Amino acid sequence: MTNELSDHARERLKGLRTSAHSSGVFTSDFSVNEFLLVRKAGFEAIGLCVGSCVYHVGVQYRSWNKNQELDVLSKAMYHARELAMSRMRAEAQSMGADGIVGVKLTIKRLEWDEHLLEFIAIGTGVVHGEGHQGFRAHDGGPFTSDLSGQDFWSLLHAGYRPVEMVMGSCVYHVAHRGMLASIGTSMSNVELENYTAAMYGAREIAIERMQAEAVAAKAEGVVGLDIHEGSHGWQTHVIEFFAVGTAVLPLGQEIAPEKIGDPIMVLSVND
Amino acid sequence: MKQPDANTQASRAASEAKQADILQAIQQGTMPSCIGERLTASREGTAPWIATMTPAELLIARSHGLRPIAAVSATCWMYYGYSWTEGHAQGWQTALERLRDEARVAGANAVVDVKMRTIPIGMEASMDFSLIGTAVKVDGLPPSKDPVIATVPALEFVKLLDADIVPTGIAVGAQYEWISDWRGSVNNLFWVGNTETQVLSGLWERVRREAHAELRRSAQKQGNGALAHINFSQMFEREQGENQPKQYLARHIVIATTVDTPNVVRRAIDGPRHIDLSLTTPRLEQTQGAESSLDFQMVVDLHEGKTPLKRTIQHHQAYALNTQEGAI
Repeated sequence: MTNELSDHARERLKGLRTSAHSSGVFTSDFSVNEFLLVRKAGFEAIGLCVGSCVYHVGVQYRSWNKNQELDVLSKAMYHARELAMSRMRAEAQSMGADGIVGVKLTIKRLEWDEHLLEFIAIGTGVVHGEGHQGFRAHDGGPFTSDLSGQDFWSLLHAGYRPVEMVMGSCVYHVAHRGMLASIGTSMSNVELENYTAAMYGAREIAIERMQAEAVAAKAEGVVGLDIHEGSHGWQTHVIEFFAVGTAVLPLGQEIAPEKIGDPIMVLSVND
Repeated sequence: MKQPDANTQASRAASEAKQADILQAIQQGTMPSCIGERLTASREGTAPWIATMTPAELLIARSHGLRPIAAVSATCWMYYGYSWTEGHAQGWQTALERLRDEARVAGANAVVDVKMRTIPIGMEASMDFSLIGTAVKVDGLPPSKDPVIATVPALEFVKLLDADIVPTGIAVGAQYEWISDWRGSVNNLFWVGNTETQVLSGLWERVRREAHAELRRSAQKQGNGALAHINFSQMFEREQGENQPKQYLARHIVIATTVDTPNVVRRAIDGPRHIDLSLTTPRLEQTQGAESSLDFQMVVDLHEGKTPLKRTIQHHQAYALNTQEGAI
């Protein structure tokens, strides 16, 4: 019997390569558009990967009138995220995923204890449709990325591949100003230079840490950087700067750059 | 309490020195050295580039010969002792200048995707004015002495460049006015029925006109046009005590992306090359017929929620949350 399989059957069998997942069923949190574009990019979903971490955040004493990083809190926020991310990645690895796209990293406070924070990382593990290994991260494990399926497709078409979701955290205490200082400036518009300096300090630390992760992942650049300023139930003068983005490498061998199509510019007439 | 170990102590001392350096730089109007070092490393390619752009924006930027260098940011935290409204103009201007300084150090030709934001923590009568964006260079161009600052996403930056228009910076028009209602003409309207509250209409009219005039003056320094994406206004009533008239405060802030546009009329006739016309009807095509030079094309947008095809008002979040009161 050398009968050729029908295209449909061949496709179906190829699809079942994803039954690398023992159940033979893939799970994902993709929207329809996302799902279509991830497939278009040559990848198939194999399963939702999740990592959680409930973390007890320690207490740190601070000087009332000093700009300073609260390194105990910074480390807690970073370590807890790292734990959630690495557990998610371990699950992806056990499924045989080449990468995880659409990672959502969220933090919840547990209502009965102000020191408990719950970190959740969740994303969809994907495999390359033809089993190409070149998309894995530098350590041979799956790549991670907070990019949506649409962004993933765009990134590949821009000639890059995601390597690792990189992040940097800095929890910072902004100094209180004394009463005297408040009175002295009450009638004029002035810059509060110590507040400005605190913002600069905290943001810079977060960006530097994120960049250091990108260097460690041997990336060429970081795309989609966003900086979140958050206060996870701390007092008013305590802020977390959290820098997060996706470290990328050029596709190089995988797709010749000249094969990247020129995008068509569109002016929408809908508002 | 346990004494922190030697490593922790050393790193705390280092971060204290860094903070002192930053504060000094801000007071002297120079670049904090840690930021200068990071930007220089990115400029020379010894550190990874960082872009706030999305992959779709990166794609279009690269296809137009733009290369991301580094994320640049700036903050000015203003205290409003004298005027809340005018503080806004001052705060954004200072932040803008600082952003330009960072772009210069990064060796950029432009900063794209500049987001205007405010950290939602209220402290006294003050607010921070923060900008964050991506410094880019244009292949084949030397670094600019005066990089342009585009407060639009990278996609829109390229769209504008395609149309020969260069976004150049931020213009702010901010105006406020207090009035005292001596004749009680706002409150004693019960008997009158339908009537215009002329005092308040007039107040708004003056404040808004003057804010727009100021926007024009502010834009003139940077380009020949302004795209005003943010219009923010508030009105308050204040009791002055018995036998005193009520006071009213109106304030209006308008913030725009300034552009340098060659010849508006000629461009309008050329039209864009491709047009998304999801609402098109067969009728339109028939009536336009063969003599239509416009090339209509249906486009399906696969983005979820916020699509770059549409407006970019979400790009600026500084006025979305800011409802707190302070000095004027």
